[in-house]
Amino acid sequence: MKQKHILYIEDDQEIGSWVKDYLTQKGYVVHWRTSGDGAEELAEGADLAILDVMLPGIDGFTVGQRLKKKAADLPVLMLSARSSVHDKLDGLQFADDYMTKPFHPEELAARVEVLLRRYGRSGQQEITLGHLSVYPDENRLVDSRTGEEILLTGKQHQLFMLFLRHPNQILTKEQIYETVWGESYLPGDKTLNVHIRYLREKIEADPGSPAILETIRGIGYRVKQG
Amino acid sequence: MRRPRLRFRFRLLRSLLSKYVLIILLALVFLPVAIPLVSFLFFFPFQEEPAGPYRSGIDLENQWHAEVNRLDGASPEQMGEALARLREAYAGSSVFWVDGTGRTRLELPEGQGLPDLWSTSYTVQFMKARYDADPFTVVAFVGGDPAQGFAVLQLPREILKGESAERDKVYGSRMTIGLLSVLAFFLFISWSFFYRIRRRLLRLEEAMTKPGPNGLPEPVAVKQSDEIGSLENAFNAMLGQLEESRAREQEEEKLRNQLIASLSHDLRTPLTTLRGHAFRLSQEPLTGQGSELVGHIDRKIDYMERLIENLFSYTLLTAGKYPYQPQQVELVRLVRTLFANWYPVFEQEGFEQELELPDTAVYWRLDPHWLERILDNYFQNMLRHARSGRYVAVRVTEDERGPALRLEDRGPGMGADSASKGAGMGLAIAALMEREMGLVREVRTGSGGTEIVLRQPSAGDAGKAGSY
Repeated sequence: MKQKHILYIEDDQEIGSWVKDYLTQKGYVVHWRTSGDGAEELAEGADLAILDVMLPGIDGFTVGQRLKKKAADLPVLMLSARSSVHDKLDGLQFADDYMTKPFHPEELAARVEVLLRRYGRSGQQEITLGHLSVYPDENRLVDSRTGEEILLTGKQHQLFMLFLRHPNQILTKEQIYETVWGESYLPGDKTLNVHIRYLREKIEADPGSPAILETIRGIGYRVKQG
Repeated sequence: MRRPRLRFRFRLLRSLLSKYVLIILLALVFLPVAIPLVSFLFFFPFQEEPAGPYRSGIDLENQWHAEVNRLDGASPEQMGEALARLREAYAGSSVFWVDGTGRTRLELPEGQGLPDLWSTSYTVQFMKARYDADPFTVVAFVGGDPAQGFAVLQLPREILKGESAERDKVYGSRMTIGLLSVLAFFLFISWSFFYRIRRRLLRLEEAMTKPGPNGLPEPVAVKQSDEIGSLENAFNAMLGQLEESRAREQEEEKLRNQLIASLSHDLRTPLTTLRGHAFRLSQEPLTGQGSELVGHIDRKIDYMERLIENLFSYTLLTAGKYPYQPQQVELVRLVRTLFANWYPVFEQEGFEQELELPDTAVYWRLDPHWLERILDNYFQNMLRHARSGRYVAVRVTEDERGPALRLEDRGPGMGADSASKGAGMGLAIAALMEREMGLVREVRTGSGGTEIVLRQPSAGDAGKAGSY
């Protein structure tokens, strides 16, 4: 598997060096810079950008906006010591994720992985979910026990892909409904439950006790991925 | 030294007060002049009119003398003709002629009870009786010569008086109308003076109360340099000061936010480094106690992080500078989304979790970020202090007092000495935010656990529950 390149901009030497070491250890190629100058050129070969906000010269928000303007399909993760709601909201105007310092390195790695997958940059050809083998690039789903392809209807496929893009994340009924159906969720609406039931009948070994698509009572659903 | 005085004089000339004084003075000077003026203006056109012969007794007397004078040397026939003509000209009159010998020669109309021959004593008696009496009597010698006798005109005073009374009445009413119009003219001038002042004041009031695009009223255009003009100038100057102080306030706020941001940055950066070191250490081969110590360090870093966050939030909140944007929020949906973030955390800690939300929408008016902060602080608190109960429940319920948001744990209660103390600030922030958003908190706490109930009591647009 081809190694993924990460552009990392952080002016603090100590933090920069250990994050670089950690991500390198995780298998990424990290290009660490201490300022945002020339970030656009450096981003050309990158699969993801991690940006600090308070940088000497151009600040991380500006760098991120420029990167997104140049390449909208480059995932950008803001890693900042600024924790106010408004900083986060400002950051999420353009960035895909916003983490505050001090962060847990495992969490950073997990979010990087999620972003790469969401943008189809993970390079992962196959994802294994229990007895399922998923080939996201080919839009294919195979029962690994029998080798048979599982065919999903349009809505089932959309639902399934939504969970794949948000691994290990609990998605609320409203979030799912509004993403897949594109209209506001009305409290009490059972459409989603029905579609989830049909989806389970196709993907679960035992739809009565689902192992892949987990119900989080009162909240929504989650697909766990190792 | 001359300039200020000049300016003062200039200003005095333009002042409203001097304009008003001018109007009053004009009225005071003009009114006495106006009376004769009006009388003059109305009297002359009146005099031009072809009037009857009886303008006044004096006129009548002069006319009669002139007419009779012209009869100098007239024959008795001519006298008769002239007197008949004159009598007709003076409607309602009676005339007679007595010749030089005292004989009554002509009597129009007949039967005036005159003697044929005028004795001296009768003449004197006649003159005495008619002096300043009724009828009005004019006696004129014919041709101004007593030897030719005299002609007499008699006119009842009633006719004379009636004519002039009529005239006085017309003249008087015209005079009244004239004076009233002069008065009305002054009233109009002073009304328009105050009307213009009022209009300008109203325009100024409108300018003061109508906010412009930047939230402050717009400056007004100063057209006149009188008292209202200087009021407008003062208003514009005040606006300038307001804008200046607002800009200064924004500048200060920007500086404060920058200071907080950089302080937060300066405190978080070493914590991040510390976490990095702890993480690296945890990946080294360690004894059991070593791993435990690294875990302690990690938890202390979390604690420090929250402390920094809470410290800044608390500072901003108490200064009223924490951004607050209340809006109509669907509570059920918001609580579900917020709890979804915490579910994995509680799950990892082995908590039993219960979420009870209605299938109906509940609308509260609040800032969703604030509610997120409040719930975060409570959940954080449960995680730290109610770990022993291993239970968390979040409910949105509806009872006779309206909808309520309930959080429950089975910890040792708020009064108990929890293993990790020092969460006071998180709860203080929650309390401050609740108060600010008009939420009422009830806390039931005991050794069996704690329940926190939040309600929005203000009925009306907020706190209304609706169902689809």
